[in-house]
Amino acid sequence: MNWKMSRVVTTIADVLVAPIAIFGIYLILHGHLTPGGGFQGGAVVASSTALLIIAHGAFGEHKKDLSSLESTGLTLFILLALFGLGYTMFYNYLAGTGTLFGAEVPSGINPGYINTGGTVTLMNIAVGMEVIAALSLILWMMAKRSGSMDLETSRSEVEE
Amino acid sequence: MRKSIAILAWVVLVAFLIVAAVQMRDFGEPKYDDMDQHFLDNSQIDDETNNVVAAVLFDYRGIDTLGEATILFSAVSGVIAVLRKMRKVKRGVESG
Amino acid sequence: MFWIYQILHLLVLLSLIVTALAVVRFKDLISAAISLGASSLLLSLEFYLLRAPDVAIAEAAVGAALTTAIYIFAIKSTEREEGYK
Repeated sequence: MNWKMSRVVTTIADVLVAPIAIFGIYLILHGHLTPGGGFQGGAVVASSTALLIIAHGAFGEHKKDLSSLESTGLTLFILLALFGLGYTMFYNYLAGTGTLFGAEVPSGINPGYINTGGTVTLMNIAVGMEVIAALSLILWMMAKRSGSMDLETSRSEVEE
Repeated sequence: MRKSIAILAWVVLVAFLIVAAVQMRDFGEPKYDDMDQHFLDNSQIDDETNNVVAAVLFDYRGIDTLGEATILFSAVSGVIAVLRKMRKVKRGVESG
Repeated sequence: MFWIYQILHLLVLLSLIVTALAVVRFKDLISAAISLGASSLLLSLEFYLLRAPDVAIAEAAVGAALTTAIYIFAIKSTEREEGYK
């Protein structure tokens, strides 16, 4: 169902959506360096989507693209895990090879370099895609199939 | 009768909770810590990753993360199946 | 400096109990859902004080934001007041 809340709510939501989403993407991309990771960052980005849906209503038709994004993330995660089957599943075959995300980490305390981690970084991105799409799809479906945002129907009005 | 059963259930629950609270281990001393030092020492060597939690989640215990992703996928499948658009089925109401 | 952490733990846990009681006692379901969000936020603060920042981020995002939004979507499809039939 479509609704639109007042101008104050929509303006503040439009201002706040971009910083929350960018913070979530930061959590996903720096999952191998700082606290956070795919699930946490995806949940933060999905909470920005929740803000957008509460302010503007369940706009558009997003079932197809969100579910395809979720399937893409899960398939990418399983494929990245299966490519290591020469040794074991989830073997980190990219670490330290010098290719994608393959720089070597100096042992001990270091400032942290983004080009490290191997498959850990790629799996963070895959799980982040899946969690963003899954939680946004749950929220969008529930908002689409629920009633209007008229919360002021008290008991006396219903009885009349 | 129902009240006495409720009081008995409450007493048993509180007794179990008190036993569990007395037997609780100290904070930061889990029962099994055989793999801790191995993870702390080798996550920078095996995975080239600074974050030990990310190394445990996506390399050492990757199957658990795969199960978590599968749980999320099945939750979304359940939500889509429950909230799909209903077609109106004609029932023979007016014939009765 | 250790006693500051003790007092912080005590304050956070006491307000956690207060918000959890408010969830049960409210008749207005929107107020109960928002109290549940506040309780979840206090729980994530407690996780952060216990030095588990990963769990704190996950709890704050899922418990305080997404669960409250889903509860509000569910409440506005049904009745706002408890006990009305």
